[in-house]
Amino acid sequence: MNGFAPALWAEALKARRSKVLPLTAAAVMILPVVDGLFMFILKDPERAKSMGLINTKAQITAAVADWPTFFQVLLMGTAIAGAIIFAFIAAWVFGREHSDRTAKELLALPTRREAIVAAKLALIAIWTLGLTLLIFVVGLGVGALADIPGGSAALIRDSFGSLLAIAALTLLLMPFVALFASAGRGYLLPLGWAILTIAAAQISGVLGWADWFPWAVPGLLVSLTGAAVGPIPAHSLIIVLLAFFIGTIATFIWWRAADQA
Amino acid sequence: MSPAIETNALSKSYGSVRAVAGVSLRVERGEIYGFLGLNGAGKTTTIRALLGMIKPSAGSVRLLDKEIGPNGRGPWRQVGHLVEQPTAYPELSVRENLEIARRLQGVPDKRATDKAIERLGLSAYAGRKAGGLSTGNLQRLGLARALLHEPELLILDEPASGLDPAGVVEIRKLLERLTKERGTTVFMSSHILTEVDRLATRIGIIHDGHLLEELEHDQLQALRARRLEVQTRDLQAAQEALARSGYAVIVNEGALYLHEGRALEAPDMIAMILVEAGVPPTRLVVTQENLEEYFLRLTGGAA
Repeated sequence: MNGFAPALWAEALKARRSKVLPLTAAAVMILPVVDGLFMFILKDPERAKSMGLINTKAQITAAVADWPTFFQVLLMGTAIAGAIIFAFIAAWVFGREHSDRTAKELLALPTRREAIVAAKLALIAIWTLGLTLLIFVVGLGVGALADIPGGSAALIRDSFGSLLAIAALTLLLMPFVALFASAGRGYLLPLGWAILTIAAAQISGVLGWADWFPWAVPGLLVSLTGAAVGPIPAHSLIIVLLAFFIGTIATFIWWRAADQA
Repeated sequence: MSPAIETNALSKSYGSVRAVAGVSLRVERGEIYGFLGLNGAGKTTTIRALLGMIKPSAGSVRLLDKEIGPNGRGPWRQVGHLVEQPTAYPELSVRENLEIARRLQGVPDKRATDKAIERLGLSAYAGRKAGGLSTGNLQRLGLARALLHEPELLILDEPASGLDPAGVVEIRKLLERLTKERGTTVFMSSHILTEVDRLATRIGIIHDGHLLEELEHDQLQALRARRLEVQTRDLQAAQEALARSGYAVIVNEGALYLHEGRALEAPDMIAMILVEAGVPPTRLVVTQENLEEYFLRLTGGAA
């Protein structure tokens, strides 16, 4: 696309210089660290209690400290926190142009607006997938430090696959956040949207409609019981892709056609 | 050669508010066109429409012989712009902000960034974050971005805003030089009338969304009303004496003003009348209405 490479370069520079990048990295690292701490406590509650880490051991004795549980918690955390952190990134990448009033500098340029929007979406993809890798790598390290049993190459491979799938599905839902950041000219609307969809996803899960609600689909990969999770149903994948295409096209149309104040 | 800017009955409404109503502009190449108007007159809306940032409700815009399309297409490689207050990415340095502009403008020459920094006197601030710049330096950064790709046409919204007096002169000279040496066309909006008066070769006056008047700079000089200004030690007695002789006199801010041709052509008669009335003039001078006064007279504002 005409101007995509320079637009991506510009987006990457803005991201590198911002505080949001280290902030999101720090935020996602909390997941594996807390997960590891959880394992550490589960392994020997008495020791944890003596170290002052917990007050009562009864509350968490239901779970066991092993690699399958560790990954289960990591996937669940990524599905929930990912939805928030990814949305935060998408809201920042698009919304900052309005809150810093720099959007007007992106409109009358030889680099087409479509290239700029595409570069922003690409940056969000790179950024969020980078964070996903960070979660996994730090998770492996923390799990090894906690010295928990039950690890296997197959488990690591499957868990990595599930983690990537959760991240990819969550990422596909980000164009709507981008659209609301653009049309809402800031952060409020996209973050409000993200919170709304997270709440709606929980409700759809309770009602048993999660497979039909795009924002609940990433959560389908998380097993609450520890039982194996089957593949995502085709209709669920299709509605997520539909949400991606509608959000993306609407964002492009908005940047092309809407009055830019 | 086709004009640099041509709008045809350009209109823009927001709901029931008509921001711009049927503006037909024609800016020839190499001109410095001053677009004058009060705040809210429709200057920025017109500029946004010129740059394809908003869709006109009616009418059309052509820049450098190219239609400004509904999808924001236009001859942007040849157009530099500064719309409203200048903005920049606050966490990026001056150089990085311009480097982004250079790449998005598709300028292959890496030296263009340094050249723009030097030209706008930003060398001392090149490594500084844009978020910490003063308003004046932020304005310089905005102008550097507008000039970086050496455009044929510059569309500048209030280019002198935020600059100190020395900076205003510097930018004026820079724009004059660009026009003379490169034939750059400049379209600049302003409410600082003296600035437009000094720089513009042609002037358009917009008020309430309507283009009231378009005139050559010399024409404007001629249209600005002349008046005879009189000061005496007793204004009231002087006014009465002149009124007795049949002159229409306006008192304003410690002086008398006479607009009639016979007063302007024969100030000596006025002097004689005042001397005979025992209130000789301490000052007697034919002055020309300044641009502010002309502008306010034209737009019906209070002087």
